[in-house]
Amino acid sequence: MSAESKLNLDILSRQVSYSGEGISVKSLEGQINSERDLQNSKVDELKVLRERNVEIQTAMTDELKKLRKFSDYLNGTATKDGFWAGFKEVLSYIPGLRSLSISQRSIEELLKQQYQVSARRVKEAAEYVDHLKKSEQDLYKELDRINIKIVEMARNERAALDFVLELRQLQEDLKAAEQAVEPGSVEARDIQAQADKVYAKLAEHSTNVQLYGSAEERYVSLKENTRKLAETIRNLAQDIQQYTTAASIKLDMASAQIQAIGRAADASVVMLEMKRSLDVMTESMNVTTQFVSDTQIFFRSNLDTLVKELETFDSTTEKVLDANLKRSKEIEEKRIQAAIEKAIQRGGSGAPAPAAPTA
Amino acid sequence: MVLVALHTQALGPKHAGAYIALLERGLRAARLNNAFPDRRRLQGTLSALDQAMQRGIYEQLYVDSRTGLPNMASYTRVLTDQEIAAGSLARMGEHEDLSRRRDEAEVFARLASKHEYFTWLKGIELAPVDLHRVLLRRHDPMTGAASFRMELTKLDGSGLYMQLTIELTQIASVWRRRVIDLDKDGESAAASQAIHAMIYRCAALDAETIFVRLHGIEGVSVERVQRGVIGPVLFALPDGVELARTLEPEGPLGDAWQAWITGPGARTSTPEMAATFATDIAAVDVREEKSNDPLSPLLTERIAPAERARYEEIRRRYPFKVFKDRKFIGTAGVRGLMQAVIDASRCRNLIYDLR
Repeated sequence: MSAESKLNLDILSRQVSYSGEGISVKSLEGQINSERDLQNSKVDELKVLRERNVEIQTAMTDELKKLRKFSDYLNGTATKDGFWAGFKEVLSYIPGLRSLSISQRSIEELLKQQYQVSARRVKEAAEYVDHLKKSEQDLYKELDRINIKIVEMARNERAALDFVLELRQLQEDLKAAEQAVEPGSVEARDIQAQADKVYAKLAEHSTNVQLYGSAEERYVSLKENTRKLAETIRNLAQDIQQYTTAASIKLDMASAQIQAIGRAADASVVMLEMKRSLDVMTESMNVTTQFVSDTQIFFRSNLDTLVKELETFDSTTEKVLDANLKRSKEIEEKRIQAAIEKAIQRGGSGAPAPAAPTA
Repeated sequence: MVLVALHTQALGPKHAGAYIALLERGLRAARLNNAFPDRRRLQGTLSALDQAMQRGIYEQLYVDSRTGLPNMASYTRVLTDQEIAAGSLARMGEHEDLSRRRDEAEVFARLASKHEYFTWLKGIELAPVDLHRVLLRRHDPMTGAASFRMELTKLDGSGLYMQLTIELTQIASVWRRRVIDLDKDGESAAASQAIHAMIYRCAALDAETIFVRLHGIEGVSVERVQRGVIGPVLFALPDGVELARTLEPEGPLGDAWQAWITGPGARTSTPEMAATFATDIAAVDVREEKSNDPLSPLLTERIAPAERARYEEIRRRYPFKVFKDRKFIGTAGVRGLMQAVIDASRCRNLIYDLR
C-alpha cells in the first residue's frame, strides 16, 4: 500500500459545506419560479396602477381644465365673442347643466362641487404615490435577498469547483497508482474501488457546479429585471408625485378664487332677480299712485253723493259736512244762476229771475 | 407673514396648533344654539386638521385672511381624506407591518402615520362645505297646507361659515309642483332646484331681504328667516420670532383690530383672539325691530334716501320684524378693542372671556 499511502483519500470522506438548502434541479426551478411569481405580481400591480393612474390623470386634467376655463372666461381673457358666450360654453361642460338655464343652478355651488371632485381625484392619484413607493421598497428588499442568493450560489459553485478539482487530482493520482501495481492484484482492485468512489463524487459535485452556476446566472438575470422594475415604479411614482403635488398646490391656491368666481356669477343672477322684483315693485307703486290720484279726483267730483249716503256723523264730521253742504249750495246756486243767464240770453223774455231760497 | 393666494394665508405647524386650540375653545365658549352651523362637526373638522398637521400629512393650514376661519381648501382636504380613507386603508396593509418597517424607509413611517390618521378620521363627523336639508314640520292633507323648515349650511364666498334657517308654509296646489316636493307618503320633503338655488345664492344677504324675496313667491307664506354666522375670528399668535395674524380683517372690528395690531398688539407675547357669532332674524313673531349687532345695523338705518319709499312700501306689505345680535368672545388682550367697537355703535353686547 505504498502507492495508496501517498494518496489523499480523506477527500472522499470529507463533507463539502454548501450554504443554504440543498440544491437540485427541481428545488432550483422552484426557487426561481417563486421569485418570478413575485416579479410578475409586481408587474401586474404596476400595470393596474399605470392604467388607473392614466384614468385618474386624464379625469383630473379635464376637471382642472374646466376650473381653469371658468377662471379664464370670467376674467374675460379667453374669448373673443364676449363674456356671456364664453361663460355659457364653460357652463355646458358641467354635467347636468347643459340642459338647464343659468338661473336654475347656483354657479358658486356647482363650482364648489367641481372643486371637491377635482380635489378628490388629485388625492386618489397622490395615494398611489405612497403605494408605488411601498412597492419600490418591497422590490429593493427583494433585490437584497436576490443578492444574498447570488453570493451564496457563487460561493457554493466555488466550493463545488474546488472540490471537483481535488477529486480530479485524486482521480489522476489513483490512475497513476494503478499503473504502479500489478493488474488484477488486490491493490489494483482496491484502487479501482477508490476510483469508482471518486467518480461518483465527481459526478455529484460537478452537477452541483452546474446547478449553482446556473442558479447564480438566473438570479443575476432576475436581479436585473427586478432592478428595472423597481426603477420603473420609482419613475412612475415620481411622475405622479410631481403631477399631483402641482395639481394639489393649484387647487389649494385656487379655492378662494373659485368661490369668488362663483359668488360673482351668482351675484349677477341675484341682481337680475332683485332688479326684476324691484321693477315689478316700481310698477306696482306706480299703479298705486295712479289709483290714489284717481280716487282723489273721484272723491272731489262725487263728494255730494258721498255725503248724501252718510248716515251717522260725529260733530267734527258734521261740521265738515255742513261746510261741504254750504259749498255744495254755492255750487248749485252758481249752476242755477248760469242756467238762468243762459235762458235769458236765448229767450230774452224779461221774466223776473227766481228768488234765491232762504238758507 | 404674507398672503399665499387670493384672501388666503398659510399657517405652519406651530402656529396652526395654537390657532386650532384657540378656535376650538372659542367655539365651546360661544355655546352656539341650533341657529348656527353644527359646532360638533366644525370641531371635528378642526380636530382632523390638527391631526393631519401633527402627523405631517399637511405642512400648512390655509385660513381665509378676511375672516380668520379655515378656508374651502382646508375644509375640502379633510372631507376628501375621509372619502378616500376606506380605499386607502385597504391598500395600505396592516398598521403593525407598516410600523415594524418604520426605519426601513421614509415611506413606511409616513404610511403608518397616515394609517393612524385615516383610521381615526373614519369615525369623525366633519363640517360640510355646503349642506341642504328640508324638514317637514306639519302637513294637513285636508287643507293642502304644509309647513317646512329649510336649513342651509354654507361656507360662504365671504369666508364666513353660516347656517340659514327658513320656516315657511305653502299651499298644496303650489308646493307639489313648484317649491317643495313631498314624497308619496307626505313624510319627507325636498326643495325644488329653483328654490334651492335661490336660497343658496341669497344666503349671504340679510334675513330681511331673504324674507321679502321668498314671501313674494306665490302660494308661499314665510314665518321666519334666521341666519347664524360664525366669524369673523381675528387672531394674533406670537411665537417669539414671528407674529401670525389675520391679514385682511374687514369692517369696524377689522379696522379696530388693525389699529391694535399695528400699535400695542404688535408687542403681544400671548396668543390673542377676538371671535364673533352673529344672529339675524326676520320673523313674524319678533316683537321689537332692533339690531344689537355693532357690525350690522338694520337695513332701515342704512338704506339710501332714494330707495326709502320703495323699501317702506315693501315693509308695509310684509308683517315681520327684524332682530340682530352678536356674541363677542375674546382673550383679555383684545377685550378693550371689542368693547370700543360695541360702544361706538351704542349696542349692548356681552363679551365672553376666552381663557
